[in-house]
Amino acid sequence: MRLLLGAVGLAVGIVGVLALREATLSTHEPVGDARETELVVSAKTKGGERDQSLSEMVEAQLQSCRLEVTSDLAGPIESLGDGRFRAVFTPAMDETNRRQFRGCVEDWVIDHVRVNVIELANVT
Amino acid sequence: MRIIAWLAGIGTLLAGALYMIVSLNRWEWNRALFFGLIVLIAEVGIATGLVLRRLARLEYRSTRVDPTVGNILRETRPPSADRFAWLREPSRELNVFITFLVGGGVLLSGMAWVVDRVASKSSSPAGEERLGRQLDPISYPAGGLLLDDITVLAQEVPGANDDQIRQLLRRGGRP
Repeated sequence: MRLLLGAVGLAVGIVGVLALREATLSTHEPVGDARETELVVSAKTKGGERDQSLSEMVEAQLQSCRLEVTSDLAGPIESLGDGRFRAVFTPAMDETNRRQFRGCVEDWVIDHVRVNVIELANVT
Repeated sequence: MRIIAWLAGIGTLLAGALYMIVSLNRWEWNRALFFGLIVLIAEVGIATGLVLRRLARLEYRSTRVDPTVGNILRETRPPSADRFAWLREPSRELNVFITFLVGGGVLLSGMAWVVDRVASKSSSPAGEERLGRQLDPISYPAGGLLLDDITVLAQEVPGANDDQIRQLLRRGGRP
């Protein structure tokens, strides 16, 4: 019985590690006709310094995260009001880059700001 | 209370592990690192608790004694020796304790005096000799700092054709 439980646990562990490896592996592919990637985020700040605005925190977060992918900001970041911002990146990101970029944007990269991705899609 | 602590530890471990895997899956590396740290702390805490619990069990087993045997041992325990009975005995003569105290003080003082004398006689000459050796590299040269006549005449030194300087140099070059 104990041997069986150990074998099941080992199998579950191996499958879990392989699944995690597959989920975190960079596999790039052609993006088709898409020219750019549009991003809409909502951001909140709490406990930041006085002279730091939310827009510059969001810009810093996006600039930091764009270093992890092959795309760059195409133009300034627009403020849509109510803590929402829009940015356009060129060239368009493939699926892996979009996942990686979303993860970075929603991660704890810069102190005192939390960014949630509302929309991240390729635009033709 | 103890059960609550165990449940809190295990819950923290499981929740931290779950969030760590979710964060890894979402490519949120900083969050994954943070939750990994939480998992590590909970793991160390639980492991420490398990080890302490096992040690407590072992201690309890080793200290458990048959009550009959314990009673017998307590009843047959020999009386403790009264090692300072001599202090309470009245004596009009000089107490041996005071004798030992004074005598020991005299002996220790004598030994300290001898050590002091030997150290002062042996360390000062050796220290002076070592200091002399250390001063040797910065001492003046044997013939003084001025050049001798031969060196002056052999080289084109600025001012060598000045009579007064030559006189000074000759005077300085003499031993």
